[in-house]
Amino acid sequence: MIEIKNLRKTYDGHEALKGISFNIREGEFYGLLGPNGAGKTTTISIMSSILEPDSGEVLINGKNITGDITEAKQLTGVVPQEIALYGDFSAFENLSFWGSLYNVPNRELKQRIENMLNLFGLYDRRHDKVKAYSGGMKRRINIAAALLHQPKIVFMDEPTVGIDPQSRNLIYEVIEQLHQEGMTIVYTTHYMEEAERFCDRIGIIDNGQIIEEGTLQELKSRSNLKEVIEVTYDKLEDTQAGEIISRWPGSSRKENKISFLLTDIQKELPGIVIKSSEIGVTINNIEIQRTNLETIFLNLTGKQLRD
Amino acid sequence: MLKLPIKDLKLFFKDRPSVLVTFAVPIALITLFAFAFGGAGQGNKENKISMQIADLDNTDLSAKAIAVFDTLKNIRTNHVSYEAAVEAIKKGKENSVLIIHKGFADSLETGSELPLELQYDEAREIEVGLLQQSLIPTVFRLPFSLGNPKAVMAGRFEKLTENSSPEVKENILHQSDNLFESLSQGIAENSGTTDPAGAFLGNEIKMTKLVAAKKDSSLGLIQAVSGTAVMMLLFSVVGIGMGLLEEKQEGTLKRLLYAPMNPMKILFGKMISANIISIFQLAVMFLFAALVFGLELKNHSTGLLITIIATAFACSAFGVFLASFAKSRQQVQGLSTLIILVMSAIGGSMIPIFFMPAFMQKLAVISVNYWSIQGFYDVLWRELPVFSTTFLSRILVLVLIGVVLNFLAVIMFKKNILKMN
Ligand SMILES: Nc1ncnc2c1ncn2[C@@H]1O[C@H](COP(=O)(O)OP(=O)(O)O)[C@@H](O)[C@H]1O
Ligand SMILES: [Mg+2]
Repeated sequence: MIEIKNLRKTYDGHEALKGISFNIREGEFYGLLGPNGAGKTTTISIMSSILEPDSGEVLINGKNITGDITEAKQLTGVVPQEIALYGDFSAFENLSFWGSLYNVPNRELKQRIENMLNLFGLYDRRHDKVKAYSGGMKRRINIAAALLHQPKIVFMDEPTVGIDPQSRNLIYEVIEQLHQEGMTIVYTTHYMEEAERFCDRIGIIDNGQIIEEGTLQELKSRSNLKEVIEVTYDKLEDTQAGEIISRWPGSSRKENKISFLLTDIQKELPGIVIKSSEIGVTINNIEIQRTNLETIFLNLTGKQLRD
Repeated sequence: MLKLPIKDLKLFFKDRPSVLVTFAVPIALITLFAFAFGGAGQGNKENKISMQIADLDNTDLSAKAIAVFDTLKNIRTNHVSYEAAVEAIKKGKENSVLIIHKGFADSLETGSELPLELQYDEAREIEVGLLQQSLIPTVFRLPFSLGNPKAVMAGRFEKLTENSSPEVKENILHQSDNLFESLSQGIAENSGTTDPAGAFLGNEIKMTKLVAAKKDSSLGLIQAVSGTAVMMLLFSVVGIGMGLLEEKQEGTLKRLLYAPMNPMKILFGKMISANIISIFQLAVMFLFAALVFGLELKNHSTGLLITIIATAFACSAFGVFLASFAKSRQQVQGLSTLIILVMSAIGGSMIPIFFMPAFMQKLAVISVNYWSIQGFYDVLWRELPVFSTTFLSRILVLVLIGVVLNFLAVIMFKKNILKMN
């Protein structure tokens, strides 16, 4: 549905995008995961045709968006990273204005705004000025404003930055609902929990490049990262320890604890438990340290996702 | 597509401080200036006011009198023939001529009323008022400095005691030497404008309107309203234009750009709302002056409306232009204040143009203020018809300023404002 081909963008000599390509299928939830400054917003801006790339192109339904900007814009909703609302307007006035720009008939728009306010739990506060809202409430309206024209495609640029857990959960629920209803969503974030929770596929972006892409499972297996489990035994003789370690190369002993490096915990953990009981040692505790996007990112770039 | 300007207008009226700046502050300033100029413009001592002198007496004494006028520090005299003087006034080049009529020398000798006359252009009553203030004390003293003081005294006393009883006349005549001493001493000591001795002597200049203004509405008031209104309009219009930069900084501009419409509509929307607010602001200023100070608008509504619209157009373009080429709000703030103050100073918003030296008056044409204020003068003071070339030429200049600045704003908007991610 959306094809992004080799986007490049340089700001005053600084190369922000160094050839970004990816495809998004209809109804897919695609996550762009990367740290601050990776180029997420620049990519979204080009995809929303408010910024021209130095080279490369974006096709929506096979059509270049630079060809018919208006059609592409009518088809997409964009949630900007900033809270782009008029503080002196109420939530209702903001939504009325932003919705009116997308040619929704007035009566229909009013109905949709009421639904949207209910959906985001702000109906009772609809006539309060947005500048009096909490960060989380503003974020909710910021998202709602992008949805009033019922777009087929939504780009969300870090839509949950800096808000309370309650608002965050509400937003997550709405986003999941939209996904279930078949909306195509491109979601940028630097929270790996979000990428793991929602995304059908994830593109890991760093330094203007997509360095990995795939489903969470694909990323995990491709990363060849071992997962670590730490088994604490009641009592451990040297011979017993030696037997276990020779069976699982890469494992190491520290007093009566053994750390195993595994590629698939689910498959290999039962074997460890069985082997332990065969040689007559009692397991006190098992600690699992799973591979996640954070460790994958660390492995790929040597950096933390969050600074 | 009026959605954008309507949104801007709604936001504008929700923003109390900016409504206050747009309406309350200019009203306060207009009131201040109206009183200042209404009081015949005291306190403008640095600038000399020009005055023509025509000597019809042609005597030694009249020449001496002219020499005295030449030394006055507030007046720049200009010796010309009467005909040339009248011509210059009618053309609006000069404001007045002091005529020394035949018999001046005789009157000095005999102490009778001096045949002095100031013919003037009523449209310039503020200047002429200042002239009068400077002239009168000098004229009072002329009989003492040039004439035969004793004869003058005697003549005056005779006139003053015309209707008195013979005893009083006798009494005064008896004391006349004494009186003369003390009076001339008083005159010598007193060089201020309030001259009791002079007042007692009661010499006057006959004032003749050579070019009469067609009504008695106050020039000072028109100056106060139009000068202040244009200056304050420039300030508020820069504020509206800065809304563009604010939208950029807040991110709402980005969201506007996401929408399926031509991005230029964002600029056009700002221009439209700036024009509407400007017209509204100017209209309120003139209505205020009409209601509170009795400025006569009734018969000038068409011309006034044309001038208001042309002024609003030029000023709005200025505001949008400034905002479109600046990088940040802070930058516009400093720059615009400087530009507006300079334009207002040279364009006649603060000090009336006719108080300025000639080269400043020439410089004034580079400001929006000048054309607009002159337009208001044309309509409200000179009462020129709407189709007169003088008036239309000012409107044309305002429209041209607006067109050029709007055009530049479009170019800069594409170049600067739209450059974002
Ligand atoms: N308007 C701009 N001018 C100059 N540099 C920019 C501009 N916008 C972004 N950049 C730079 O481009 C890089 C990518 O920025 P961005 O796309 O905003 O990253 P992200 O959204 O992933 O945090 C960063 O290094 C940023 O500093
Ligand atoms: Mg960003």
